[in-house]
Amino acid sequence: MQRALASVSLLTFFLVAGFAGLVPAQEDQALAGLPTESSADYYQALMGVMTGNQQEYGGLFTTLQGQWFRRAFLVIVTAFPSLFVLHFMVIGAKRFNTGGQPVLFFPLFARVIHWVVAAGFSLLVFTGLMIVFGAFFGGGTLIRTARYMHLGSAAIMVVPAILMFLMWLKDMLPERHDLAWMGILGGYLSKAKRPVPAGKFNAGQKMYFWCASVGGGVMAVTGYFLWGMGAALDFVRLSAIIHNVLGIGLVALYLTHVYMSVFAVGGSLESMKTGFKSQEEVDILHSRYKY
Amino acid sequence: MARMKFLCDVARCIDCSGCVIACKEGNHVPVGVNRRRVVTLNQGKPGEKSISVACMHCADAPCIAVCPVKSLYQREDGIVLVNKKTCIGCGYCFMACPFGAPQFPGSGVFGARGAMDKCTFCAGGPEVNFSDEEKNLYGQNRIAEGKVPLCAGMCATKALLAGDADVVADVYRERVFQRGSGVNAWGWDKAYKK
Repeated sequence: MQRALASVSLLTFFLVAGFAGLVPAQEDQALAGLPTESSADYYQALMGVMTGNQQEYGGLFTTLQGQWFRRAFLVIVTAFPSLFVLHFMVIGAKRFNTGGQPVLFFPLFARVIHWVVAAGFSLLVFTGLMIVFGAFFGGGTLIRTARYMHLGSAAIMVVPAILMFLMWLKDMLPERHDLAWMGILGGYLSKAKRPVPAGKFNAGQKMYFWCASVGGGVMAVTGYFLWGMGAALDFVRLSAIIHNVLGIGLVALYLTHVYMSVFAVGGSLESMKTGFKSQEEVDILHSRYKY
Repeated sequence: MARMKFLCDVARCIDCSGCVIACKEGNHVPVGVNRRRVVTLNQGKPGEKSISVACMHCADAPCIAVCPVKSLYQREDGIVLVNKKTCIGCGYCFMACPFGAPQFPGSGVFGARGAMDKCTFCAGGPEVNFSDEEKNLYGQNRIAEGKVPLCAGMCATKALLAGDADVVADVYRERVFQRGSGVNAWGWDKAYKK
C-alpha cells in the first residue's frame, strides 16, 4: 500500500517537474518576441516573462496565505470547541454501565502505537497552530523552535503512523451500514441509548482514520517540500496551499476526535488505556461487532 | 516623504556585475546569498540585454502579506526590511516574491533555514542606526548617512539608479530624451537604419 502511495507521489512529482522544466524553453521564445519600439512596452513585456511564474500559483498563494488561512484556522479553533461545549451542555456524554463481560478492543500493541502517534500528531497540530498564529506570539525564538519541533514530530511519527495504518486497515474499510450511521450521526445528537449500526469502528472513526492517514501522508509529502524547497518553486507554492488547506481540515477532525473520545463517549479514554470496553458500550455503539 | 526606488537602465547595463560584488563585499553578505543578481537575456545574440535585479521594495509587497510572524515591514520611504530576530525562516516570503529576493543563508539542524536575508536598500534594519548589531545582521546603513546604496554608487555605467523616485524618474526621462526611444543601443538606428 505504501509502495503504491510512494509511486503515485513520485509520478506526480515528476510530471509537475517535467512541466516546470518546459518553462525556460518557453521563456527564450517569449524573450525573442519582445517589442522593441518603446521602453515602456519592453519593460512591461520583460516583467511578464521574468515574473510569469508568479501568475500561476504565486498570486493565489499570496492572497490565501496573506489573509484567508489565518481566518479559517481562527474559525476552526474557536467554533469547534464552542460547538462541543454546546453539545456537552445540551446532550452531554454517553455513559455506560460496567456490568457484564468487558470486551477486548485494543491489544497492547494497538494502544502503544496509538499513543505514540497521538503524541506526535498532537505536537504537530500544536506547533502548526503556533506557526499559523506566529504574529500573535511575537515570532522569534519561540516560533522558530515550534517550527523545528514541527519537523521533528513529523519525522518521529512517520514509522508508527504507517504501522497504525496497516494495523487497522482491514477494520476501517467502508461498509454498507456506515451510511446509516452517517444518517443519524451515530446517535450522538440524542441522549437516548439505542443500538447504532457500526462494526468494530463506526463511520466517524473510519472517516477520521482515512483523512488522518492519507491526509497525513499528503501533509508529510507537502511538508517535506516546504521544509527543503526541493522542487520547482511553483510546486513548492502549491505544496504550501495544499498543506494549509488540508491542515485546516485535519485540525478540525483532530479537535472532534479529542472531544468525542475524551468527553462525549464515557469509557472511551479508558478503553485506550486498558484495552477493554464495557459490554453495554459495545452492544450500543458497535452493535454489529461480533465478539 | 520621498519614496525610494531602484531603476536599472537596460540600455546601459553591460553585465559587469560590479553591483553584485559591491553589495556582497560591502555588506558581508553570507555565502550562498546573492542580494543582487544580474540577469542577461538573449546572451550573445542581437538584442542582448542585461538587468540588475534585487529586492524591488514593492509598494504592495507580497512578502509582507504572507509572513506568519510579521517580521517584514515597510518604512515610510517605501523600503521593505526584515527583522531577522523575529524571522523563523519558514520561506513563505520566498514563495510569494516574484523576484526571488528573500534568500536563506547556510543550513541549520536538518537543513533548517536560518533567518531570511535580502537587499535592504543599504538601509540596515530595525536595530539602532550604525550600531554593531545592525552592521552584523544587515550590513551597512548608507541611507541614514544620506548616501545611495552600494550597488547604485558602484555602477560602472550608471545604469543602476537608486533613490528618490521623482529624481530617478527625471534622470531616466532625460536619458531617454537624449538617446531617443527604443531599447536597442544608441546609434543602431543611425548606423543600421533599424
